[in-house]
Amino acid sequence: MSTQEKNHQTEIIVTGFGGQGIIMAGRILGMSASLGDHKESTLVQAYGPESRGGACNAQVIISDVPIHYPYVNNPQILVAMSQAGYDKFAAALAPDAVLLVDQDLVNPEKVPCAHFAIPATRMAENLGNKMMANIIMLGFCTAITEAVSSEAAHATIVQSVPKGTEERNIEAFNKGFDYGLSTLKGREKRAAGQTGALVP
Amino acid sequence: MNNPTQNDNNQKILLFLCNWGAHAAFQTLQDQRRPIPDEIHMVRTPCAGRIDRALLLKAFAKGADGVALVGCEPGTCRYGSGTATSQRNTQDLGRILDIMGLGSERLRFAGFLPEQSEEMLSFLQTFSANIRELGPTGIEVAPLIPPPTVTTRKQELQQLIAIHDIHACQDCGKCSSACPLALIGKPFSPRAIAASVIAGGLHSPGVHENVWSCLTCGLCYARCPSAVNFPEFIKDLRNFYRQTELPGQETHGGFFHSLMRSMTSPAIRPKRWTDLPADIRIDPESKTLFFGGCAPYYDIFFGKHSDVDTSRILIDSLRLLNFFDVAPRLLSDERCCGHDLLWSGDKQNFERIARLNVEQIQALGIETVITSCPECFMTLHTTYPAQGIETTFKVVHLYDFLEEQIDKGAVGFKPLERNITFQDSCRLGRLENRADLPRKLLKRLKPLKFEEMKESGASAICCGNCAWIGCDSYSKAMQVKRLEQVQATGSDLLITACPKCQIHLKCAMEDPFRREQLSIEMMDLTSVIAQTIRWE
Repeated sequence: MSTQEKNHQTEIIVTGFGGQGIIMAGRILGMSASLGDHKESTLVQAYGPESRGGACNAQVIISDVPIHYPYVNNPQILVAMSQAGYDKFAAALAPDAVLLVDQDLVNPEKVPCAHFAIPATRMAENLGNKMMANIIMLGFCTAITEAVSSEAAHATIVQSVPKGTEERNIEAFNKGFDYGLSTLKGREKRAAGQTGALVP
Repeated sequence: MNNPTQNDNNQKILLFLCNWGAHAAFQTLQDQRRPIPDEIHMVRTPCAGRIDRALLLKAFAKGADGVALVGCEPGTCRYGSGTATSQRNTQDLGRILDIMGLGSERLRFAGFLPEQSEEMLSFLQTFSANIRELGPTGIEVAPLIPPPTVTTRKQELQQLIAIHDIHACQDCGKCSSACPLALIGKPFSPRAIAASVIAGGLHSPGVHENVWSCLTCGLCYARCPSAVNFPEFIKDLRNFYRQTELPGQETHGGFFHSLMRSMTSPAIRPKRWTDLPADIRIDPESKTLFFGGCAPYYDIFFGKHSDVDTSRILIDSLRLLNFFDVAPRLLSDERCCGHDLLWSGDKQNFERIARLNVEQIQALGIETVITSCPECFMTLHTTYPAQGIETTFKVVHLYDFLEEQIDKGAVGFKPLERNITFQDSCRLGRLENRADLPRKLLKRLKPLKFEEMKESGASAICCGNCAWIGCDSYSKAMQVKRLEQVQATGSDLLITACPKCQIHLKCAMEDPFRREQLSIEMMDLTSVIAQTIRWE
């Protein structure tokens, strides 16, 4: 694979417990990229016992050119919603990768790259349904990494979630998205030395 | 034109003259037929120090273009402290006149000995010349509305009773059992007022007095099983009384009412926001307006007795807006919202000021108005449309803005090493039914302990006064009761949501016999948030 091709390609691993909606998050990412943003994408999902309760994962590649090999060895984006999932893939993180975690479920140690945290499950519970944590995480991921456009993600979410829950899922996505934007803004502010509202 | 006594512009200068030293000098001028300028109108007073700031301002509000307070030279006051008091009053009101846009140069203090008549003449001539140069103040007193005939008044009263559905009152007494004034021992009963007004006893002494002492805090309305909106009824009754009688129920000598009435004239352009800290970002093109409210006037006025700093709430509000990257627009000639005019029965002047505000804000193309004052919020958000003054802009309370932004995440709070409790604002908590709003923010703070008072939220007790009217010993007793409730929570910081709560509770803490038991530090919720908020 030439370096130029590699630049066009974003490799993502979403990992967590089976039942958290990991595969669905992966599928929405891929579908948003291909159907909404008109790029190429592939999804390799974990079958078998993992997807029913163990550490499960979805591997997504988004590319501007056709994808020849759908497996991800070194993800540029790792989304971890369980400690076991994080432990499994942490070693594969390169220094220029981005790690996103649910801060209540994952305690990342010695992360070699940039990492961002969100209390996605807690936020989903506050919204009234723990099952929407994956959608919140998706919003967060979209804001931080810009792997897909938020319009494309909106459209795909509406198609993918159970009928009647579209509005709540969009709300959840926006919640995660806003949290992501806010996180980026907070980092920028802290980097500029403005942590509080009063002059230090 | 060279005649120093000639008054071409028909201007008026009010001269408050001390009976002792200065009056003798003035009399010499009169006896010798010296050329005292025509516009000087002299009022002889026992002591210049007794002409308080309310009287000085009232002179301007009633049409004076200049006011001279002339007393005795420092050290020669018959009563000892008159000269110092006059100087202090002149200085305070001068600062207020500057913010109002009238200019402190329209008010002068001078002291003369009895033999200094020529010095006094030259002072009066220079002052008159200055005022002629400055021209008229631009204050137009609202035209007097001729009192309605007895028949129309009767009809209007019947209409009032019908609009507010006072006949729905079941005389059950839940209002009186909840009313904080009644509970503190004042012979006051909402249902008795309702019954008397229906029976035609509008002017019976108990009714008349109590209509003016009602706090309009809304607790009776919240308890009423027939939903008789008592605060609104009282508001209209006050306006009804005001049609035929002179004002006189105002506290602080009517200072704030004069201030507000002066601002109802279109030609008055206040000069606000002149001493903002340099780090605050403002955008003169922004479509978002921050409406501050009257805090700077309060701080100067009450600074004489206590160290209230309600302007800090405005500065901290701006800092919080900046924190979330909002650089708002400010109105350099911001007026009062008119809340206290309306709630003290002056509907005519309220409408004048409300129309000016709405026209001004809309002409600037403002889309959103953010305010941290609960009274400004209720007035701009709810009262203007309810009084038939349509607005095209959205009105947002700062707490709503903060809650929305903080809820997006990545924002946290530094621990606050205090035990806190919270004094609700009647306007936000009950009349706007938003008692939950400040609590959402309070729950985000990280104090050592947050404990509610015995009566809190929708049941909270008022700070003791509303619309600068009807302060008496019962108000004080209520404030003491409230402060005892504060102390019972074991808190060391009382968080407030309205600048007036701070002013009133601070006043109650001045009690020399109970200062130790009652005193507690107070801070507005806005300031507490500004101090502890941080990016995570």
